[in-house]
Amino acid sequence: MKTWTARTRRAGPAPARRPGRLAVTLLLGVAGMACGSGGEGPPSGAAPAPEASAPAVVPALLDLEKASLKLGFIKLTDCAPLVIAKEMGYFDDEGLDVELEAQANWKVLLDRVIGGELDGAHMLAGQPIGATIGFGTEAHLITAFSMDLNGNGITVSNDVWSKMQENDPGLASPTPRHPISADSLKPIVEEYRASGDPLRMGMVFPVSTHNYELRYWLAASGIHPGYYAESDTRGVIDADVLLSVTPPPQMPATLEAGTIQGYCVGEPWNQQAVLRGIGIPVTTNYDIWKNNPEKVFGVTREWADAHPSTHVAVVKALIRAGRWLDASTDNRKEAARILSRQDYVGADYEVIANSMTGHFYFQKSDKREMPDFNVFYRYHATYPFFSDCIWFLTQMRRWGQIAEPKPDSWYHETAKRVYRPDIYLEAARLLLAEGLIEGEEVPWESDGYKPPTGDFIDGVVYDGRKPVEYLGKHRIGFKDPAS
Amino acid sequence: MPKLELRDVSKSYGEGAERLEVLDSVSLAVEEGEFVAIVGFSGSGKTTLLSLLAGLQLPDAGSVEMNGSPISGAGPDRGVVFQNYSLLPWLSVYENVALAADQAFASAPREERDARVRKYVDMVNLTPAIDKKPPQLSGGMRQRVAVARALAADPEVLLLDEPLGALDALTRGTLQNEIARIWGEERKTVVMVTNDVDEGILLADRIVPLTPGPRATLGPAFEVPLARPRMRVELNHDPGFRRIRNDVLGYLSAIRRSAPDRSFETDVVLELPDVRPAELSAAVRT
Amino acid sequence: MSAKARLIRGLSLAGLEVLEPLIRLVTLEEPGKQLRLLGLYVGAPFLAFLGFLAVWSGAARAIVTNYGTLPTPAEVWREAGNLARQHAESRAAEAEFYRGQEGRAASFEAAAARLEADAGGAPSAAAAKQIALLKERAEGARSRRYSSGPTYLDQIATSLETVFAGFLVASLVAIPIGILCGLSKVFMSAMNPLIQIFKPVSPLAWLPIVMIVVGALYTTDPREAWFEKSFISSAFTVALCSLWPTLVNTALGVASIDPDHVNVARVLRLGWWTRIRKIVVPSALPLIFAGLRISLGVGWMVLIAAEMLAQNPGLGKFVWDMFQNGSSQTLAQIMVAVFTIGLIGFLLDRTMIVLQRLVGHEAPA
Repeated sequence: MKTWTARTRRAGPAPARRPGRLAVTLLLGVAGMACGSGGEGPPSGAAPAPEASAPAVVPALLDLEKASLKLGFIKLTDCAPLVIAKEMGYFDDEGLDVELEAQANWKVLLDRVIGGELDGAHMLAGQPIGATIGFGTEAHLITAFSMDLNGNGITVSNDVWSKMQENDPGLASPTPRHPISADSLKPIVEEYRASGDPLRMGMVFPVSTHNYELRYWLAASGIHPGYYAESDTRGVIDADVLLSVTPPPQMPATLEAGTIQGYCVGEPWNQQAVLRGIGIPVTTNYDIWKNNPEKVFGVTREWADAHPSTHVAVVKALIRAGRWLDASTDNRKEAARILSRQDYVGADYEVIANSMTGHFYFQKSDKREMPDFNVFYRYHATYPFFSDCIWFLTQMRRWGQIAEPKPDSWYHETAKRVYRPDIYLEAARLLLAEGLIEGEEVPWESDGYKPPTGDFIDGVVYDGRKPVEYLGKHRIGFKDPAS
Repeated sequence: MPKLELRDVSKSYGEGAERLEVLDSVSLAVEEGEFVAIVGFSGSGKTTLLSLLAGLQLPDAGSVEMNGSPISGAGPDRGVVFQNYSLLPWLSVYENVALAADQAFASAPREERDARVRKYVDMVNLTPAIDKKPPQLSGGMRQRVAVARALAADPEVLLLDEPLGALDALTRGTLQNEIARIWGEERKTVVMVTNDVDEGILLADRIVPLTPGPRATLGPAFEVPLARPRMRVELNHDPGFRRIRNDVLGYLSAIRRSAPDRSFETDVVLELPDVRPAELSAAVRT
Repeated sequence: MSAKARLIRGLSLAGLEVLEPLIRLVTLEEPGKQLRLLGLYVGAPFLAFLGFLAVWSGAARAIVTNYGTLPTPAEVWREAGNLARQHAESRAAEAEFYRGQEGRAASFEAAAARLEADAGGAPSAAAAKQIALLKERAEGARSRRYSSGPTYLDQIATSLETVFAGFLVASLVAIPIGILCGLSKVFMSAMNPLIQIFKPVSPLAWLPIVMIVVGALYTTDPREAWFEKSFISSAFTVALCSLWPTLVNTALGVASIDPDHVNVARVLRLGWWTRIRKIVVPSALPLIFAGLRISLGVGWMVLIAAEMLAQNPGLGKFVWDMFQNGSSQTLAQIMVAVFTIGLIGFLLDRTMIVLQRLVGHEAPA
């Protein structure tokens, strides 16, 4: 695991306010300036030794349109960048007063951002996209910051797991080979179908990454997860497995009750299942698509247009938070401790710490090193790539959430409407000037499209520049004529 | 011209089979300053009569006139003292009386109305209790407040509906004297309904009996020429008092006897069983 | 009245007659009898409560859920202490923040002053810019507000505010309509079908409609709005569900005014408004207050559900958030909330009883 140098901060015990680091720096810088003429000041950060003749360059505070913000989040571990930005004082440094408010579920969160009660929120990557194209509540949302990569898992009930083991004896060992595809699930699915009561699985929201990953995983082994249609938005047309929306905290309970036989969700709900002995995570989305985009920080277009500087300030703080999170395992442990506070994620520290520090329990006997289970900054994780947006759009089309065929140009245009790397880069530039990040951490020259990649569980290659062609490569799902 | 007059008034309740004719062709003329007592049996329609006089109900036939013109409804010019006092229990004595004073003298300045209230509370000897609320007063005191309230509105006629009916005998006596005294001071026209002949003779100039219902009507009036002030204790020895008393009571009992009690009339013929005791002598047993 | 008599009367007013023997005991009036009464009416409930705690402790150990065993009374008590402590810490942190605020602003200003002094009155363009920026930061530092999530006690306060707002709206609507219903039989029969249909509707059914309507109509900029949408939605839902008992009781109270009182009004020819003010309302007041008391109880129950869905930051949201945590303290925290809700409901009811007794009056003979 690559470690980033130096700028870690220890969090204080209670949320005591630290005097702005900049104040300290300025005093030192001023002291320095008093001794001589200009030049490069010491980078602001942990108090460095003042150089005799170096005045500090005081970074301009952005002219904030609104200093007091309320941001929403859902109690999942990947809300970490927001939490860390607040707890480490990064929002403070930008002059922002931020209140973080937990929301009951994704729908309420989305409605409140659209309605203006929340300035912005921790969102599923698909939410700004779905809302902008009009699937579900329609509103033009944008995102300028990708919060993390990976972080989800698919868990099945103990019952289903033992049947999978019967189908594939290789799974019966205490440490089976990963990644586990849905091949060994297929006979079980058919069995359930034959009995008239199809297998049921839960995911968190119709436009969530979990929904698309679960479908991808199932479809890769030839199991049909169901279509959406304009007249029927339940997504179960022609389905071999019935997928439905379940709020994350209720997933372990419904799994135990037998209402669903599996689910796809973020942490801590997969580890909770293992800990309480109610289910087995069979795969993570890292295995389904290595380094897939997961959550974003979303705001309405209206809000972003009305508060450009505030938006940049928020993104700056979030970038720093992401950077801190990936800086060291100690930081991750600290983050887990903070997240286990009841105002944030609230689950027990032990449960959160596993995945946060790069371990994942597939079974109580099977603990794996997964350093990239959560990625907050590495691999340019925070840059909002158009190709990420387009992948979601293709999956929406694949399953019928987008009812009609669309040409490639539509995908590219939509991506440009929703994803805003321009705002991200502005924030990054400021941070670079302040010396808070390194130049190579940001893909300055990128056109917004990642190179084609085959890092999927079924090996299909995805090229963001050719979405319609990509659609055609899948066995199951809508395929459109080449545009 | 009589102050208050009933001309051939009839009143009944209900429709069809349940129709109850309470009053039939009642006529009464009350002169200004006169104290008339209407004496009758329970249930004969005394309260109905008073309601008509007050304007709380309208007659089916005939008219109720005051100062020559028919009345159309109730009003403070015909003050009423109800049998159940009807004091508002959430208002103090002062406030209850003030309710009437403020309403009848709305245009007068506050001090005048305040003086009015205090005058009448004093007249009924309740000044020490002026700030108390009805639940804290005895029955007699409450009735006095009711009288003060009725008077405070400066009515032309005062109507008393069995005002002392709910009180015990001793308090009754005291209040009868009070009423006599107050009437002596103010000399209003008063019509009082009562079932107590003695009370009527003590207080009134004229006693008019109400025949028993249904279809009650007023009987002949009995003048009470006794001198005032009339002291209860002395009256018992007064031959004039006794004579009037006997006359009225005699009339009432005669009327009672002769009036068929129609409330028991029915068309149903009941076959009563012929009950004869069985012979229990040994000879009959077989 | 002596102090003791006043105290006893006060207890009776507050519905705490059970404590009367205690007062009498202290003044040594018939001590044997007082002790017996205390034993019966204070001791018995106390023992029952202890018994309840014992049964709870036992059951807690015996029932094992996926979250561990059910929390025992001791654990719940400890959790309550935690919540109180967190509140204290948050307040302390806030105080510290504001204490340090001036210092932070001052340090920026000192830096600016130093620069100015060094430049001796004629700063270069760059230095002038620096000075301006430093001053701007000082300004900013001064106007910063402490922002953090609400503590448990804040949430209790929010819940109380919301329930009172909803209760007020409900009363303002129910009492006038109730009076009209009581005064006019025609009006009552017109309103009756509507009342019967809407009375049984659950708050969970009202809430989505209320939220949509509020969302559409309440379009003030959230920055300038006095009330948040979630607050309004919750308060209105509480109002919709809790106005029925008051309405029905008011109508009943008004319809059953002593006819003699009505006659008094007629004889005195009281105006319509005076009649309402002096006769109708005071006469119906005991029943109105009975209705208000029931309404407040209903409103408090409805509030918790409404808050969970509308995201009003009160006790309802607390319960839902803690449930979402799925931590090992979750059950204990939710039980603390249960007891808090119950206790507050009890206190609200008590308050209404006291008000009812203050307002009540004996019917005249």
